[in-house]
Amino acid sequence: MTKNFEKINDSLIKRQRSEKNFKLFGLIGIICAVSFLIIILTSIIIEGKKAFVSTYIKLEVFFDSKIIDPDNTKEDSVIKSANFNEIITKSILENFPEVTDRKEKIKLSTFISSSAEDELIKLIMLDKALIDQKKELWLLASSTIDVIHKNPDMLNFPEDERLIDDKESKWFQWFLSEEKIKFSTNKNFFSNADSTEPEQAGIWGAFVGSFLTLFVTLILSFPIAVAAGAFLEELAPKNKFTDFIEVNINNLAAVPSIIFGLLGLAIFLNVMHLPRSAPIVGGMVLALMTLPTIIIATRASLRAVPPSIREAAIGLGATKFQTVTHHVLPLSMPGISTGTIIGMSQALGESAPLLMIGMVAFIVDSPGSIFDSATVLPVQIYLWKSTAARGFVELTAAGVMVLLSFLVLMNTIAVYIRYKFEKKW
Amino acid sequence: MQKNKIEAKKVSVFYNDKKALNEITLSIPEKKVTSLIGPSGCGKSTFLRCINRMNDTIEGCSMTGRILIDDKDINEKSLDPVLLRARVGMVFQKPNPFPKSIFENVAYGPKIHGLTQSSDELNELVEESLKKAGLFSEIKDRIHEPGTSLSGGQQQRLCIARAISISPEIILMDEPCSALDPIATAKIEELIDELANNFTIVIVTHSMQQAARVSKQTAFFHMGNLIEVGKTESIFSNPSEKKTQDYITGKIG
Repeated sequence: MTKNFEKINDSLIKRQRSEKNFKLFGLIGIICAVSFLIIILTSIIIEGKKAFVSTYIKLEVFFDSKIIDPDNTKEDSVIKSANFNEIITKSILENFPEVTDRKEKIKLSTFISSSAEDELIKLIMLDKALIDQKKELWLLASSTIDVIHKNPDMLNFPEDERLIDDKESKWFQWFLSEEKIKFSTNKNFFSNADSTEPEQAGIWGAFVGSFLTLFVTLILSFPIAVAAGAFLEELAPKNKFTDFIEVNINNLAAVPSIIFGLLGLAIFLNVMHLPRSAPIVGGMVLALMTLPTIIIATRASLRAVPPSIREAAIGLGATKFQTVTHHVLPLSMPGISTGTIIGMSQALGESAPLLMIGMVAFIVDSPGSIFDSATVLPVQIYLWKSTAARGFVELTAAGVMVLLSFLVLMNTIAVYIRYKFEKKW
Repeated sequence: MQKNKIEAKKVSVFYNDKKALNEITLSIPEKKVTSLIGPSGCGKSTFLRCINRMNDTIEGCSMTGRILIDDKDINEKSLDPVLLRARVGMVFQKPNPFPKSIFENVAYGPKIHGLTQSSDELNELVEESLKKAGLFSEIKDRIHEPGTSLSGGQQQRLCIARAISISPEIILMDEPCSALDPIATAKIEELIDELANNFTIVIVTHSMQQAARVSKQTAFFHMGNLIEVGKTESIFSNPSEKKTQDYITGKIG
């Protein structure tokens, strides 16, 4: 008795020490993981938050009838085709009467984004009485000015290393001192599709593209996967053939996604001649990728339903099909939905297979249907990242923020469903 | 002379190659309670599950011999097991109400078999079944609450109500009280007594006292063999086989 006691007492110190070490390693692991997460998130937010505002310049615009409508026709087509660029250039030059050189005039005119012309046309269309009137307007600045405004340190760089030369810098500082330049919400980011001009480019097109693609993925993969999972788990006989299928489904879940993209390219585009770059094809490819995930989730949650429920239904004279559809499937729906949402968020973040089927194209319009050309959020981020213009750096980070918030939202819903509908037996 | 409802003739059951039941021949009288007793793994539950072909759902389980209900072979190809199970209800060891309302639990059987024409008729049938199971007075105010919110004994009576809602001719009970406390057990036993007026009941139990209390006929199983069958009083007071004697006196089991 006492002998054993001493032995146990001696080994206890060692045992407790290894427990302490284990706890320490665990803690270090957690700290590492959390700090990496914080570093990534803060760097993205610091860079990305700048994209949510853009620079506007205040100008006194004179809607000169000589330029807009010299023959006084008042017709829409005439007004729309008028040279509004000239109106904007004139309004800027008014502030700098000393500028006479043609090249310098052009430089000044590029302070304002080319999209400002469309803004003016819209204003005139709404209210034709503006013609021959003067009006103070905040017009969207070009991306170059926006970048300088957001990163004022750049003005201290040597002239050949910065985006604007000394003269432009002087003009910029004049606007700044006169308080004729300000930040305001970047509406384009949330309403436009891609553009060659950073200040006009937006995430909306990619957002709609992602939504349509995921919609196709969900419509295709959910019913097929649930049917396949339910059949394999509940109805199919257990033999070599079903074992073979099961092994293959599990393998399919581990196939690199780009393979599915190649398959989409070979079958959906080359054989079936479906439209290139369209959400329908993207959705089909991602559905193939998501199928095994949902099938595995379906089978796992079907298995979690206690056999007593099946026996109760069968003992009452329900057929196997009734047992599955009336009791087992509804009870496993929370698990299946969770698996589906996780599969969907995988699909949302996927870019490689979509590059294969042409969803990497430069598309300036938001897609209207699943057959239109489109791009998706991760591919849009990739496209912006590989563009040279300085203004796209912030857009990339902002795009990542949108994608991440979308993902967090979907996963939150998955967690909520799991807790809300979890059945206690 | 009592009419026999169920006749088992040389029934053997195999799980893959393992023999679980060895040529059981047994007659079960109509509208009486027959109990099957014996030590764990003796095959009494397996035999019970043959009567409504519940063993069909188990992979690798096969049966030889014949079971007749009202002189008709239940294993005949032309007989759909679904139809058989509508005639032979079952109550399981662990109360297993569906995670739905009390009403839905009882209404499910009549619904899938299309037994009622209108919702009034269905309401009436549910109420009647709950009354027969002795549960209605306790839960009449919360008939739309989940069946899983009831106590264990109430849940088991709900399962009995669910089984009798489709008016089967036979009710099989597989150790229905093994998960219940003595008071709940007493209530179920009372109920079994009452139900025997209308139904043929076969009950598997590991409690000899229960068998003695509720049944008219008792069959003793051991190692897959039917050792002895007879009137309950004579089995317990004057068994003819030594194995039965050993079991009821606690020497084996």
